[in-house]
Amino acid sequence: MDIFTIIFWVLGISLFIIALKKDKDSSTQAIKKSKSMMGNMIFDIIAVIFLIGLILTLIPIDTIQNTLNSSNTLVSSIFAAIVGSLTLIPAFVAFPLVGSLVDVGAGTVVAVSFLTTLTMVGLVTFPLERKEFGTKFAVTRNSLSFIMAIVIALVMGGILN
Amino acid sequence: MINLIKKNSFKSLIVLTYLSLLFLNREMAFKAIKNSTYYLIEMLQILPVIFLLIVAIEVLIPKKWIVKNLGNNSSFKGSLLALLFGSISAGPIYAAFPIVKMLHSKGASIKNIVIILSSWAVVKIPMLANEVKFLGPKFMLTRWILTVIAILAMATIMDKMTFKISYANKKISKLEVKSDYCIACGKCYRQAPQFFKSINKKAILVDENIQIDNENDKKLLTEIAKSCPSQAITYNI
Repeated sequence: MDIFTIIFWVLGISLFIIALKKDKDSSTQAIKKSKSMMGNMIFDIIAVIFLIGLILTLIPIDTIQNTLNSSNTLVSSIFAAIVGSLTLIPAFVAFPLVGSLVDVGAGTVVAVSFLTTLTMVGLVTFPLERKEFGTKFAVTRNSLSFIMAIVIALVMGGILN
Repeated sequence: MINLIKKNSFKSLIVLTYLSLLFLNREMAFKAIKNSTYYLIEMLQILPVIFLLIVAIEVLIPKKWIVKNLGNNSSFKGSLLALLFGSISAGPIYAAFPIVKMLHSKGASIKNIVIILSSWAVVKIPMLANEVKFLGPKFMLTRWILTVIAILAMATIMDKMTFKISYANKKISKLEVKSDYCIACGKCYRQAPQFFKSINKKAILVDENIQIDNENDKKLLTEIAKSCPSQAITYNI
């Protein structure tokens, strides 16, 4: 385990103990709630992780690198943003997925635009959003998020590279 | 069996791919499993921490207080509270839709609901541990700062526009579950299996046309509707 994981473990355990001491009843409630929420998600998480294994094995690393880091960063980040917009997945599984892409050589810009649109823009969930907030709101929010994702990605690429 | 596969199409597809790979190219299948195991172990190291953080945040940060102070306050403090509210919540962004709509009906400004929705998606506090683990602390910090700035900009732009958000007063159905938004926390069907059951992990009503006369039941259902984490249950006496 690296140092940051250990720090988060210490932080998590201490806050958990403080919560238990402060209010045992609502802690038990919260534990039950999170437990079944996580229990329901765990198989999806495992499935995504096995998908990562498949991608890394079946698609040669060179291909991934070439596709994701084509000479034009703008083009590749827009491409990543489009793929990320198709579906909407919880941040939970988005991080290991994007982390694995970075591990095999995807650049920061591509990783960030993929990550942001993956969690913020969703074509699949668009009908739900439209039903609740109306077409104008849903279209505006999703397209603004899409643009912001690319802007964030490009700025981050500038800072980190 | 066929139903089971249909409901878990993504998972079934993964299993099927692995099985055929085992058959076609044993070496590659083992390599894929080895690659997956690496990420699985990484994930298992951080998953319990996320669990602990979600529980601690739920108990220690008074959400009710935030909601009360959010109001239609478009000031800096209001934006900050909205950001905090979105960042401490669990679940994917669509789980936020009903909650945010409820907040809007109580007077939260467009600016604040955009802030909550966006930060709910991607700047979650328990997930910071996850992001550091898989992408590193420098990546996390830079992305976090830039995303917060972008969210505030987005919210300010949308605040200048006008939106018609309708509150369709549907037929006076007393007890209702919007299964689309259920995040399967299981609280309702554990506490009141006489009213709720789960199908494909989502909560639904046992009887759509149920009449509730009993005072204790009314109390129980009001409490359950209030505590549903994604506000998917509505109950009007």
